[in-house]
Amino acid sequence: MTAVAAEQQSELDLHGDELLVVKDLQKHFPVTKGILFKHKIGAVKAVDGVSFAVNEGETIGVVGESGCGKSTMARCIVRLLDPTSGQITFRGSDITTLSRAAMRPYRREMMMIFQDPYASLNSRKRVGFIVGEALQVNKMGTPAEIKKRVQELLEIVGLNPEHFNRFPHEFSGGQRQRIGIARALAINPKLIVCDEPVSALDVSVQAQILNLLKDLQKEFNLTYIFIAHDLNVVRHISDRVFVMYLGQMMETGGRHDLYDTPKHPYTGSLLSAVPIPDPELGRNRERIVLEGDVPSPLNPPSGCRFHTRCPRFVEGHCDVEMPELATRSGMTAAHAVRCHYPLERWPLTDVEMRGHTGAAAVPASAE
Amino acid sequence: MALLEVIDLKTHFRTGDGVVKAVDGVNFKVESGQTLGIVGESGSGKSVTCLTIMGLNAKRNTISSGQALFKGEDLLKAKGDRLRQIRGNDIAMIFQDPMTSLNPVYTIGKQLAEAVLLHNDVSKSQARARALELLKEVGIPRAETRIDDYPHQFSGGMRQRVMIAMALLNNPDLLIADEPTTALDVTMQAQILNLIAKLQKDYGSAVIMITHDLGVVAEIADDVIVMYAAEVAEQAPVDRIFNNPQHPYTWGLMGSLPRLNADVERLVQIEGQPPSLLHPPRGCRFHPRCAYAMAVCRTDDPALAAVPGEPNHLQACHLDQATKDRVSAELLGTFAGKATA
Repeated sequence: MTAVAAEQQSELDLHGDELLVVKDLQKHFPVTKGILFKHKIGAVKAVDGVSFAVNEGETIGVVGESGCGKSTMARCIVRLLDPTSGQITFRGSDITTLSRAAMRPYRREMMMIFQDPYASLNSRKRVGFIVGEALQVNKMGTPAEIKKRVQELLEIVGLNPEHFNRFPHEFSGGQRQRIGIARALAINPKLIVCDEPVSALDVSVQAQILNLLKDLQKEFNLTYIFIAHDLNVVRHISDRVFVMYLGQMMETGGRHDLYDTPKHPYTGSLLSAVPIPDPELGRNRERIVLEGDVPSPLNPPSGCRFHTRCPRFVEGHCDVEMPELATRSGMTAAHAVRCHYPLERWPLTDVEMRGHTGAAAVPASAE
Repeated sequence: MALLEVIDLKTHFRTGDGVVKAVDGVNFKVESGQTLGIVGESGSGKSVTCLTIMGLNAKRNTISSGQALFKGEDLLKAKGDRLRQIRGNDIAMIFQDPMTSLNPVYTIGKQLAEAVLLHNDVSKSQARARALELLKEVGIPRAETRIDDYPHQFSGGMRQRVMIAMALLNNPDLLIADEPTTALDVTMQAQILNLIAKLQKDYGSAVIMITHDLGVVAEIADDVIVMYAAEVAEQAPVDRIFNNPQHPYTWGLMGSLPRLNADVERLVQIEGQPPSLLHPPRGCRFHPRCAYAMAVCRTDDPALAAVPGEPNHLQACHLDQATKDRVSAELLGTFAGKATA
């Protein structure tokens, strides 16, 4: 690392202990009509008011169905997309509206690993170039130093350092994902946003990559935001988990709180939909099967966004009033849920879940 | 007689680099109303096995041998016309990607009716009525209006339902599902698996479910085949596979799964990559990645043999029985919430 880079690094080091704070993040994609005179006829509210803080060294898991806005949120955080409103604070400085140039020192601190290891590597460049590009761009060493660093990185992620001269097509899916990880590690980032990094991999390779990510976290004190739709994987790797639905956070909590005592009916349904690799357990449980699809984010349901598919829907309350994300009585401090009628216990059977009525139970909302 | 009996099935592809042995000696039986799960990594030959049975491999470059007896008739020897009669009528297939397996320029109704008209002597309106009936059965809301929609107007899960409807139009005796839920979210996956199980019960069809997800297999299969590098590593009823796995590869697969009900700091990982089928390793094909490999594994390919006392549980491994039972019990012991006997 050159002196200039080191100086910028230390400048960033001075700030508070929360690595990343996101406040009321919104990202709306406009929907336009007309060719010459375009006018806006609506907006896809991909992310609609998400707030959270990430501490250094922890792993945040984000789960949700396709189209719930988890990837858009990740892209906003690393400023690959410009948020519509809200505030993103990284190491104490507001980076929400920084220009490209002003953003540059922060880019060095946050990297991304993508889902598709086939599409995310330039097929016409050699691995050495792909991994070393960030070093080159940031002028972090002479060509010889960069080459040495690249070989070191390849070794760290479990590839043969001799392979720096090969092209991506010469590697298998798992190995390509390792290249993606080496590239993300190249400039010693603090935060790595992993967007479905193991979804495209076979289980045996998935285990290798998950183990690697865990090892690297210990070694380099990395912070991960880990997006996946596989709840098992998220549970395995995360310290805290966010459950997202239609651009909003429905439930957040520590891994054990959220998986052992889910409070939101959506979280419960997701958990109950996961196939269990044990025939006896699988046969003896009752599934809560959600009907239908995720509604369009162009025109999200009124009130609670989940009410159209919720087994505990109470007419006149859930479809009118949007619940707040709040910690209710009997929940640990870090655990919060956005629901008027959170689950009393877990596991609940399908019938128990549906049998609930607002009239019979005392509304547990935080008003 | 079994509905489908596959005997020593081999599919080899001639390529510019040599012969790829994609399937190398697979045997299994499927009975009516039963579900067979085939698990394995990408490239283990699970899809090619089913494509060969259906006669869907390109004729050029492909060498198939063995037998696939469907109700006593060898499908590998059947001519094109006969295969076309069977496909979509007696045997139907659902593919992984619902986005690409529907024709984008025809309405759903037209595509469904085509399948009815091909195999039955009915009028167009009767075919359409049958299509509508099936769409309702697979749970497409407002089926009367949606039948005239194009595939792009459906979501992924809905398209997969349409594919299932199409597969079931002619009440097939055998349904081959090639990773039908891999591209879907868990909630949609649960819906589709429930649907397949329900329809199987209603129609009494047999199902071959190809998947890489052991969870899916545990949920719906009666028998399981674990494939590795074009060969069968282990084959057993579902309870045996999950309660007493006998092959190191199966152990690896089970250990590498993160679970909802167990805390493990590190997942058991199978080192390395699946081998190239152009030059598969000598001896046992799994030995380069196997933690228990012995000298004999490098030279002799183990035969698929029954576990003593369990004629339905086949495995191909040189390890002695005592070691297998011990490792298997240890492995299951690490999954909390489940006491080992």
